[in-house]
Amino acid sequence: MRLTIIGAGPGGYVAALKAAQLGAQVTVIEDTEVGGTCLNRGCIPTKALVASAEALHKARSLDDYGIDISGEIIPNLARIIERKNKVVSVQVKGIRSLFKSWGVTLVEGRGMILTPEKVEVQKKDGSIDVIETDKLIIATGSRPAQIPIFPFDGEHIMSSDDALNIKSIPKSLIIIGAGVIGCEFACIFRELGTDVTMVEMVPRAVSTEDPEISEVLEKELKKKKIKLMTGVKVERVEGQHDGIHVYLADGKELIAEKLLVSIGRSLNTENIGLEALGIKKGSRGEIAVDEKMETNIGGIYAIGDVTGGILLAHMASKEGIIAAYNACGIEKKIDYSVVPAAIFTSPEIGSVGLREHHAQEKGMKIKTGHFQFRGLGKAHAMGEIAGMLKIVADADTDKVLGVHIIGPHASDLVHEGALAIKSGLTVRELANMIHAHPTLAEGLMEAAEDVHGEAIHAPKK
Amino acid sequence: MNPDNLKYHKEHTWVKVSGKKATVGITDYAQDALGDIVYIDLPEADTEVEASTEMSEIESTKATSAVIAPVSGTIIEANEKLADSPEIINEEPYGKGWIAVIEMSNESELDDLMDAGDYEKYIEEEAK
Repeated sequence: MRLTIIGAGPGGYVAALKAAQLGAQVTVIEDTEVGGTCLNRGCIPTKALVASAEALHKARSLDDYGIDISGEIIPNLARIIERKNKVVSVQVKGIRSLFKSWGVTLVEGRGMILTPEKVEVQKKDGSIDVIETDKLIIATGSRPAQIPIFPFDGEHIMSSDDALNIKSIPKSLIIIGAGVIGCEFACIFRELGTDVTMVEMVPRAVSTEDPEISEVLEKELKKKKIKLMTGVKVERVEGQHDGIHVYLADGKELIAEKLLVSIGRSLNTENIGLEALGIKKGSRGEIAVDEKMETNIGGIYAIGDVTGGILLAHMASKEGIIAAYNACGIEKKIDYSVVPAAIFTSPEIGSVGLREHHAQEKGMKIKTGHFQFRGLGKAHAMGEIAGMLKIVADADTDKVLGVHIIGPHASDLVHEGALAIKSGLTVRELANMIHAHPTLAEGLMEAAEDVHGEAIHAPKK
Repeated sequence: MNPDNLKYHKEHTWVKVSGKKATVGITDYAQDALGDIVYIDLPEADTEVEASTEMSEIESTKATSAVIAPVSGTIIEANEKLADSPEIINEEPYGKGWIAVIEMSNESELDDLMDAGDYEKYIEEEAK
């Protein structure tokens, strides 16, 4: 069976490897670099920058840890970017070698579907190839959304792509959009010394998260002296000799050296031949798929960002695996019941399952438990006491429905919660399991105990 | 220990009255219970506060805790020195560790507060 995949991001490349493992003859078409947004312009490069920012933060707090340092601590942006690029290139090479090892053919160029059995590739050298195939997976991803009245110029009005390759540390930066991407960059730039102001249209930062997570994050941003203006719209933006002027709907005017626009992402559905084939799209332009990730045209699948949903690399990967199985004739359905998510702000956020405001909207009866990281000996030893863990549970059955963590290693800690939800564990079962001491994971045990008012390391209420 | 010229709220805040202005802070008992204070989320000027509700949040190495407004009114000033040196609250809860000045909207609320003697009895009871 010949399978052709358009796009080698975390959806496409994972689908390719899975299909190759299942015995398919796989061709992947990629017009930039394998790894897609995640590896080249998203998850991985930002985490490399976060690591540099954290190292800088630690270096600046060495005194607190009893370490004397002689000389100044100065971030060297060129070397920070160089390190980031190296991290990315190692991963890119890794995917390329996995392709070789599993016999996946990589064709570098832009793919256009002519018929369900034919894909034309405009290759990087200008030549054109036509690939014949039995099945197809569309995994073309997304790109930063821009505001038409002030498009990206790559220099002063930046997208997240541009912000990864800046040449100098801006003195001041305005970020439009306090979602995941905006908040991550705000923390990175602030640590580098930039004066950061964020403007968000909705009433809170990271508005898809549990409201209490937003509350703690907003306080932590305030501690860093990152200015956050919520519930306010941007009217217009003007580039003037003294910088970028941002005019807000409430009459205020902001000025900064640079502007980062992080208001969401646009789906890459144009110029790949969808219209001529008659592939159905949803109301936001996303490719409509069923539980097998198949489009309305049999044998053509779509996965990842291009199908709308939650734009997460690990969602795309799982969808890719499902599509690969189905393309190879093994029927499998996607299961979205448990999707953990990580946000690499400082401190970081890990969340999975039901948010308290969603429970309220649905009229569900829930109970919650909380625990502060500052209640843990390990957090004190590490010198990272900010943040908290929260459990949302079913008031009747005691089942764990949601776990929301902001604090050190939140993105790793959340997986215990994810497994609890996936396995249908009750809060008591989670609390009854012995957790190793001294660890941050004890916090989840205490939060579980707190659901029943039984946390050991919390004062009497 | 607790100054006689102040009035005390049962949520462990104090008030020093001067005309319509009330300077507020947390009591020595509160700072001692909290332990080392590492951050205070200061109230912003011009915001309204209501007696017996949260006006600010304090973080210590042990806990995060709400600062309860002893009287209602408008914040006219916050102690900005606490932004960088919140430990002043531990050192001088009744002096340099004041948190904010409130322009009172209802002075009769002062009658609901305790004097130093009553507050001392109150915390002795709490400690039991």
